[in-house]
Order: sequence, then C-alpha cells, then structure tokens
Amino acid sequence: MRMIGVVIATSLCLTTAAAAAEGPNDAQIAAIVVTANQVDIDAGRLAASRSHTKEVKEFAKRMIVDHTGVNKSAVELVTKLKVTPQDNPTSQSLKSGGDQNLRNLKGLGGAAFDKAYVDHEVAYHEQVLDAMDNVLIPGAKNQELKALLVKVRPAFVAHLEHAKRIQAPLAGKS
Amino acid sequence: MTRASVRRFLIALATASTLCLLLSDTGAAATAGPRPTTHRVVIDSLRFDPQLLTVKAGDTIVWVNHDPFPHTVTAEGKSFDSHEIAPGQSWKYTARKAGEFAYACMLHPTMKATLRVE
Repeated sequence: MRMIGVVIATSLCLTTAAAAAEGPNDAQIAAIVVTANQVDIDAGRLAASRSHTKEVKEFAKRMIVDHTGVNKSAVELVTKLKVTPQDNPTSQSLKSGGDQNLRNLKGLGGAAFDKAYVDHEVAYHEQVLDAMDNVLIPGAKNQELKALLVKVRPAFVAHLEHAKRIQAPLAGKS
Repeated sequence: MTRASVRRFLIALATASTLCLLLSDTGAAATAGPRPTTHRVVIDSLRFDPQLLTVKAGDTIVWVNHDPFPHTVTAEGKSFDSHEIAPGQSWKYTARKAGEFAYACMLHPTMKATLRVE
C-alpha cells in the first residue's frame, strides 16, 4: 500500500516538475483535470460496490457524485472555450496510477480493501492538491479555466479531510 | 318584499359584511409590522455566504447552490433540513422560531454557518 502511495507521489512529482519547467498549456491542464476526476470516480465505483463499511461506502459515493459534477463543469467549460483536452505525461501518469490502483484493489477484500482504498484516497487527494497549487492553477492561461480550478479546490480539501477522518479507525483493522 | 327577495337581500348583506371583515383583516395585518423579507445565501466553493445571516421571524431565506455537486442545509438538531440541493437549484425556508441556529452541509461537514432569527 505504502509503495503505491510512493509510486503516485513519484510519478506526479516527476511529471509536476517536468510540467512546471515547460508549463502545461490549457488543453493539457484540461486533460489533467478530467483524468484526475475520472480516476477517482472509477475507484469510488469499485469501493461503493465492494466495501461493506458504511463510512467507506458513503465516502465512495461522495467521490463519485462530486467528481462527476466537477468533470461535468470542466467539460462544459472546455466545450464552450473550444479547447480539446490534450493528453500529456501528467494525465497519462494519473491514468496509469489509477489503473494500477484498481488492479491492486480488485485483489483485496474486507478490511484490507477498505484500508487500501482509503489510504490511496488520502495520498491521491494530497498529490492532486499539490499539482493544483503548484502547476494547474498558476499555469492556467484562460481566466475561466483558472477560476474553475480555484472554485473546485475546496472540494479536494474537504475530500482529503473526509478521507483522513475515516482512515484512522480503519488503520488497526487489517 | 317577497320571501325570495328578502332571502337575496340577507345573502347580499352577509356577503358584504364578510368581505368587509376580510378586508379589515388584511388591512390590520399590513400595518402590524414590517413586511417579511427574503434573504439569499449563496453556496459556492463549499462555503455558505454570508457565514452569519440575521433575519426577523417570518422572513424567508433562500439558499442557492452554485457548486457543481449537491449540498444540504441542515441545522444542528435538524430543526430545518433541506436534504440534497442539486447543482444550480435552491431551497427556501421561512424562519418562524427565534434563536441562533448553527447549520452545516451533511455531505461536506466542514461547511458550517449560522442563521440568527430575531
């Protein structure tokens, strides 16, 4: 589990550093935002169906609803701005990290599943917030895209706090 | 006067006096105090704005959700509860009881605010 956190952290940091040097353009930022949300929706769907813990299922449902809402806004905005999201190293590493997380979770059950899912959610939201603060928000050229990122940032903060709140009681269970 | 015309007269009299009563009633209500007003609280970026709203008993408050996901407006002790307010939708509540009501979003408990009813 810890290793997965490190993998996400490393891949995001590496791509964050690379993106910061060149600066992702708005089309790349759009792809990063959409992928980041989609990865968390997919993990949430798996957890909502597989977990038997009320708090974990509720958290997973919140992730699905909120990140779907954010993605809807993002897609509406890029459509309006006539920007086509453009794949880039950061969006690709988010996607592969998400796929790896799903593969790992699918092999687990019970308390081990809950713990792995929630631990990953904590690490994931920390890394996405870091990318938002250091790359995405400062890098967005279009003011509406920047405004959308600023607007949804508190949701990621609330999700991180929520994940940490349910993480503590799960720690001793697996 | 025939019996029928007496009856018509009495009905007309009764209707007129009822109308007078109704009219004087609404007149009295209109002059009894300030008219209830409607206040607006915007929900945006996981924040209720204003954080503290003071209203008079009888006033109506409308919470408007500007976020792309649902929120709730739920008082501690559930004296009022909007349940889920969908993105772009609003919820209306008429405050009848005086007091200070702390409320939060049940879906995002870090979102807190206060309604003060005087």
